[in-house]
Amino acid sequence: MADTAVQVEHDHHGADAHHGPTGILKYIWSTDHKIIGMQYLFTGMFMALIGGYMAYVFRMQLAFPGISVPGFGQVSPGEYNSLITNHGSIMIFWVAMPVLIAAFGNFLIPLMIGADDMVFPRINRLSYQIFLISALILLASLFVEGGGFGGAWTSYPPLSAVAEYNLTNLGSTLWLTAVALEFVAFLLGGINFIVTLMNSRAPGMKAYDIPLTAWMIVIASVLFMLSVGPLMAGAVMLLFDQTLGTGFYDPARGGDPILWQHLFWFFGHPEVYVVLLPAIGFVIDITATFARKKVFGYKIMLYTAVATAVLSFFVWAHHQFVAGIDPRMANVFTITTLLISVPIAELLFVMIATLYGGSIRLTTPMLWALGFISTFLLGGVTGIFLGASGADIYLHDTYFVLAHFHYTFFPIAIIGTFAAFTYWFPKMFGRMMDERLGKIHFWGTIIPFNTIFIPLFMLGGIGQHRRIYNFEHFPDLAEPWMFTLRQIATISLVIMLLFQLVFFYNVIKSWISGKKSGDNPWKANTLEWTTVSPPPHGNWPPDELPKVYRGPYEYSHPDREEDYWPQNEPA
Amino acid sequence: MSDNSGHHDVNYKKIYFTLLFLLVVSVVGPEFGVLWVTLVTAFGVALVKAYLVIENFMHLRWEKKIMKWMLTSSLIVMALMFFGISPDVMKHEGRNWVNEAAIAATERGIAGHAEGEAVEEAVEVVEAEPGVFNAQAQYNLACATCHGQQGMGDGAAAAALNPPPADFTTPEFWAERDRDRIYTVIHDGAAAVGGSPLMVAWQNTYSNEQIEALTDYVMGFQPE
Amino acid sequence: MSHAKPIATLRSATGIPTGRLAVWWVLASEVVIFGGLIAAYLMHRLGHPEWGDAAAVTNTMIGTANTFVLLTSSFTAVLAHQAAEHGDGKKAAKYLLFTIGGALTFVCIKSYEWWYEISHGYTITSNTFWSFYYTMAGLHALHVIAGAIIMGVVALDAYRGRELQRVELIGIYWHFVDVVWIFLFPLLYIAK
Repeated sequence: MADTAVQVEHDHHGADAHHGPTGILKYIWSTDHKIIGMQYLFTGMFMALIGGYMAYVFRMQLAFPGISVPGFGQVSPGEYNSLITNHGSIMIFWVAMPVLIAAFGNFLIPLMIGADDMVFPRINRLSYQIFLISALILLASLFVEGGGFGGAWTSYPPLSAVAEYNLTNLGSTLWLTAVALEFVAFLLGGINFIVTLMNSRAPGMKAYDIPLTAWMIVIASVLFMLSVGPLMAGAVMLLFDQTLGTGFYDPARGGDPILWQHLFWFFGHPEVYVVLLPAIGFVIDITATFARKKVFGYKIMLYTAVATAVLSFFVWAHHQFVAGIDPRMANVFTITTLLISVPIAELLFVMIATLYGGSIRLTTPMLWALGFISTFLLGGVTGIFLGASGADIYLHDTYFVLAHFHYTFFPIAIIGTFAAFTYWFPKMFGRMMDERLGKIHFWGTIIPFNTIFIPLFMLGGIGQHRRIYNFEHFPDLAEPWMFTLRQIATISLVIMLLFQLVFFYNVIKSWISGKKSGDNPWKANTLEWTTVSPPPHGNWPPDELPKVYRGPYEYSHPDREEDYWPQNEPA
Repeated sequence: MSDNSGHHDVNYKKIYFTLLFLLVVSVVGPEFGVLWVTLVTAFGVALVKAYLVIENFMHLRWEKKIMKWMLTSSLIVMALMFFGISPDVMKHEGRNWVNEAAIAATERGIAGHAEGEAVEEAVEVVEAEPGVFNAQAQYNLACATCHGQQGMGDGAAAAALNPPPADFTTPEFWAERDRDRIYTVIHDGAAAVGGSPLMVAWQNTYSNEQIEALTDYVMGFQPE
Repeated sequence: MSHAKPIATLRSATGIPTGRLAVWWVLASEVVIFGGLIAAYLMHRLGHPEWGDAAAVTNTMIGTANTFVLLTSSFTAVLAHQAAEHGDGKKAAKYLLFTIGGALTFVCIKSYEWWYEISHGYTITSNTFWSFYYTMAGLHALHVIAGAIIMGVVALDAYRGRELQRVELIGIYWHFVDVVWIFLFPLLYIAK
């Protein structure tokens, strides 16, 4: 067990002498982890609007081919490719990762472990700045000559390597540069999270006293760091192929396009767990709070999460079952892929077991948490079909895959975000969100979500291919009932997007005139709830940093009258 | 005031001179021309040198175990990556497939090799030299999906298309088509001459000269 | 603006000082980046024996000289650390300056080497061996330059007796850069 000796040097004067920038500069130049977290959050949410808009445009084209999409115009094939490519890239790299990991990680980790900031505040600021630049470069790529990159978010060469093929000479290079910079930003940020969690815990906080949210974000950071390296190398190689004319991925010149696929998915698969684990962390913390019950198996969750992370390195080629890999390799990867469903299912079982027998409060965050469990479960089981290489031969590159990963990514990135946001909004802004509006938003999001993607599962089952611009070109896929399904999906998307207005209205209204929340409106145990809402610079007065006496989930303890027991309350 | 990196008793000078000696060994080894000697001296020495630097200069020897575990994990991930990916990348043939381009590249050797062996192209190699338009390569990339590599209208996508793509190898196809018509269809799309909109226009993809080259290539399918 | 450290930075639940912990994590991520590039190279090299002809062109003497320079600079870096441990900031700064000198020498030798090879027609696009050669050595050289710059900043602080613990940290990074070269050297110069 890591020893909890705290070494505080005689540098106290530093902490209160430093006031940080003031005025408008505070929001641009601050090194305070909470502000940096907010910056990531708002940038991520802004990018989500763009990614969502792109989805709206291309779904309109698919449901009503040839239509002049309101708010965009007619969609050309090249534009279609660019829309789907950037939708995917934006949602994964500029929405899911910054919001789940960087925004909430930055805001919560120091608070949850009783620290006054991250260990490297200036590197923290730098990582956000690099991230912002990467987002701007990505957006710029959409407006240059030739348009945005259209080679799919997976960017396979030779399409992505040769401008004559992808027709987006500048766009593809800018896209790749943006992705590479985003990786650098998260490598830097990840180091902050990992070192802060390892070293800067409050006195008395042992490893098993750390809230699962903090653990999950850090495990995700480690997983990201170990898996992204080969892809960084591969991205540099692809960049050189694009700009210098090297032949890293050109077989005629001694290279190999399959190498890119492997490098990409060697990272790409762990990446999905990089975003999954934080979402699971949020959901389990919220579940414990609103079931007023200890997490059913804290250590189980922790070790299972680690097992998932380790196993995630052994499954990547299930993305390449039909790419021409050796079938014997496909055997191995089928086994490992089916195996990995076990620890993930275990995590969900622990969540359900935590609910069982609890005193459940159906607040908005709890609804989101329950929504996560149910939808992610469906997404996960559909992955089993895809993990079996035999079934995958038929299902690969169909909408079945697409519906599967949206049934996993959407719960992770959208439901997980709303769960966390509605739960920690009081801490971040000092106000309560409107519960009624929250519930309307919840139902208005989750029901359309299902009616978007269930038709897509069905269409995938009958063989509808991905990345097709117009199904009218394929007579077998142009039956009227198929178009009806596509239209149901598209109209559901429009409805879902409209309900997000309820959310924005709720945010603004609550921020301005919501009920004051106080320190601990949810009566939760973890350390962030022991300070003021919103916390000041330094989080607690410098000589009043909390000490920890117990674990984070002591709810409904038999020896207590209150049904919660904050970690920092002396025994 | 450092806490656990105390004053280690390391003779840095001794390590340094050992490293230099090893450097000499690694340079001299290959001179013997014996493969295993080269491998041992080159890579074996590298491993030893790295070990010495890591343990003694970086003080990993005295570092907490967790860091050793962490660095070992990085290396394991690397090994996993190498052994997982290399079978696909390194092999150039399997039971049912052959990576012709790679094998040809290997046989061709590096251009400008001193012995100047004649470049025996046993296989049609599509060289993607940047800046040089290769009509065959472009046809195979852009057209063959529908029209097939032999121009017989039997490409992979052909089955799904209605009307099916043209077969360039039949006399019937050429009965009423001349070179201008082929050029126009490629340039403006078949719909421009009353044909199927499935054959799109390529003028935005290729320059006129390039379309001329492609037209020539398609003309080559014409049966005698 | 001078920035006071948060209390978080000064804590150490693991017993490893925060700065050193961070540098090790940076190295872990660099291992997978360089490792990825080197592994990709290795896969191709093993499958393309004809690359031996291109590899024969690389100048072993220059490679050896550069290896010598880097090893020596690692030596001076660790001596700087030793001085810092004894609290002698000025001496540490002096040794760091030697290390930076080694870095600059390395870069100069490499520039000459590349100028020679490029002017003889061996560019990054000549064939994929050369692509890997320039990419790997280039990425490494970038890390050398970045390291030298950071080392300069640390040396300046050390000369003034401040932040002496950073001498060890930049040293650890520097040794890593050296270790990468220890592996690049046989890969690109010796094993032909």
